[in-house]
Amino acid sequence: MLLLLILGCSLAALQAHASSNDPQTLVIGKISHNPRKHYQYLKPMVKYAVERMQDLGIRKGKILMARSKEQLADMVRRGEVDWVTETPIAAAYLREKSGAEILLRKWKKGVPEYHSVFFSLKQSNINKLEDLRGKVIALEDPASTSAFYLPVNAMLEKGLRLIKLRSVREKPPADRVGFVFAREEINIATLVDKGLADAGAFSNLDWGKEDHLPSKYRNNISIFKRTPPIIRAVEMVRQDIDPAIRERLEKILLHAGNDPHAVSVLHAYQQTKKFDKLSRDQIDSIYNLRHIMDVVDQAL
Amino acid sequence: MKKIVLMLLFSCFSSVLLGQQQISMPVSVDRAPQTSGGRFYLQQQGGTVGLQGNVISETHDTSQSQDVMISTNGGVEVTSSDGEFSFQFGGRVLIDAAVYSEDKNTLGNGSELRDIRLDIEGRFYADFIYELSIDFSDGEADIKDAWLAYDANYPWRYTIGHFKEPFSLEEMTGKKYLTFMERALPNAMVPGRSLGFGMSWVGGQTTFTAGLFGDDYNDDADDADDADDEGDEGWGATGRLTYAPLADERSALHLGLAASYRKLDDEQEFRFDSRPESHLTDIRYLDTGKLNMSDSLTLFGLEGAWVSGSLSFQGEWIQAILKRDEHDNPRFSGWYLLGSWFLTGESRQYKQRSGRFGRVRPLNDYGAVELAARYSTMDLNDAGIEGGTSDNITLGVNWYLNPQIRLMANCIIVENDIFADADGDVMGEDEPALIQFRAQADF
Repeated sequence: MLLLLILGCSLAALQAHASSNDPQTLVIGKISHNPRKHYQYLKPMVKYAVERMQDLGIRKGKILMARSKEQLADMVRRGEVDWVTETPIAAAYLREKSGAEILLRKWKKGVPEYHSVFFSLKQSNINKLEDLRGKVIALEDPASTSAFYLPVNAMLEKGLRLIKLRSVREKPPADRVGFVFAREEINIATLVDKGLADAGAFSNLDWGKEDHLPSKYRNNISIFKRTPPIIRAVEMVRQDIDPAIRERLEKILLHAGNDPHAVSVLHAYQQTKKFDKLSRDQIDSIYNLRHIMDVVDQAL
Repeated sequence: MKKIVLMLLFSCFSSVLLGQQQISMPVSVDRAPQTSGGRFYLQQQGGTVGLQGNVISETHDTSQSQDVMISTNGGVEVTSSDGEFSFQFGGRVLIDAAVYSEDKNTLGNGSELRDIRLDIEGRFYADFIYELSIDFSDGEADIKDAWLAYDANYPWRYTIGHFKEPFSLEEMTGKKYLTFMERALPNAMVPGRSLGFGMSWVGGQTTFTAGLFGDDYNDDADDADDADDEGDEGWGATGRLTYAPLADERSALHLGLAASYRKLDDEQEFRFDSRPESHLTDIRYLDTGKLNMSDSLTLFGLEGAWVSGSLSFQGEWIQAILKRDEHDNPRFSGWYLLGSWFLTGESRQYKQRSGRFGRVRPLNDYGAVELAARYSTMDLNDAGIEGGTSDNITLGVNWYLNPQIRLMANCIIVENDIFADADGDVMGEDEPALIQFRAQADF
């Protein structure tokens, strides 16, 4: 009975809980499939920012997590979310759909940029992208930036034509590159190591992770191509946010990397090392990811 | 009691029906999530609640963002979309068996339910978190964690209730994450759980936890009907500082120190005792007996751990100084050193923010295999007290079938001195060996 009572009360409280458009509340948003975990990441940073905006009338911080980029875009457009921390590909979508603007780069887990790596067995004769004609490449899934959009775009730029295969054992036409979705990085690595796929592609950050590419595989595999780097993560604000709040938020985040009081806050905030400004070209390159997504989607 | 257990089982079963299956959805570093995966959203729409599960969310959602997410790893987790309310229900089952190669004393082969634990934890109104954990393994409800914490002033957190006093890396690491089936001999000196108030602070590489404590609630409950136990209970202050200059997915360096002071209760009786590193036997070779006129106990602890890929080492040293009236003050001490190696490439997972070890996740479909060895020793002979000295050498092998199911085997060689005689109840200089097994599952 006790447990049912607690469960009932919890669900009632959860359902009764409403979001806020209170102008005195600063709201950060994020796409999340694990709001319990992300809440702990975001809460210290929101509190840190709110404490430094008291003179602007900001009294409270709030976190809203969306289950999809579409939902987050809706939240931003409706003014429910002021500030977003996201990946570049989500940022490109939010820019197009909600008008949100990139404020700063986030050195998430201490990294400013990342890129995709193409790899194959060392004894294979694959040394460049053009060598993939008539071969099979393993990618992650159609939602991945570094293990789908970036590598496919790189192949399209080389004039390669791609075809989706139903199985890794299926053979593509000699003039096309066949691709399969392996769902997880470890599966991509396994398919290449076992010779079932001729090549694979994912993030250079995953290349160094034992759970994505075990050492026993890495010894047999080599990288034959890297894509240009893209920004690791960004902070965005909604287009119509109060300019004073936008300016203060930028100042607070830029200062956080040098603030001893922010050490634990940044650590909680996905082990962020610091924030820095992006050049116009860098920002445009992020927004251009939307174009890349369109190109890839249309080509396939 | 049966009703409560049935209710809990019903709740768990219901959660499994809702979630249908274990959710494993590794998200790549750059993924923009598009599907609801195996998680479910309860969405409030015009006063009704609808269920959207395993549905690809490609359509635009123009409703207010009041989703509730339900997920399961066997247990159930419910979280509001703003994270300010969450609820998690889980538990664990640990089943042990042991065979003793006896020397001078009878230890008794057998099997037992080592842990039958149900856990409820959650967050409400953003700033309050709680946990209630109850163990049923001895046939009664034994309160483990029962606390409420105020979490509004990160990196500080304030906790009140029944929880572990912050002392010892091995103690702070949950039993289901330990490398060996039982903690090392010196753990007998560690305070364990008590009723109290604590505060913790976490920095980039540092954690600090301290608190003021009364007695273990379960001991108090056992003494509730004892008319001879109406004096003041004891109290203690305990603190732990950890520093981890290196902590990533495959490597870690942990350093820690802890201290504890405990003013003993009005009975002024104190006792250290310890089984060999096997819970099935009730023989506690090391036993100081009841030491009367004991006034206070002071503990010091040093911790170290190093993880490099599949290899790791961990060690601790603990000293206890007992202050007695009209007697010499004895000093007891113990230490252990363990090494672990994953044949299958995994790493022990160090949690920098809590200064302890966590769950191992196998890299292969067939699971992870870990080999480990430990030497531990404790000396309870000092100042005329003959509590005994014991050395345990343990070899262990663990098979992690998946992150939540583990099979364990430990082989232990025990060496006791002449005074390790359970305060005269058994023969000293006993040198048995044993092999013990565990099947463990948590959800």
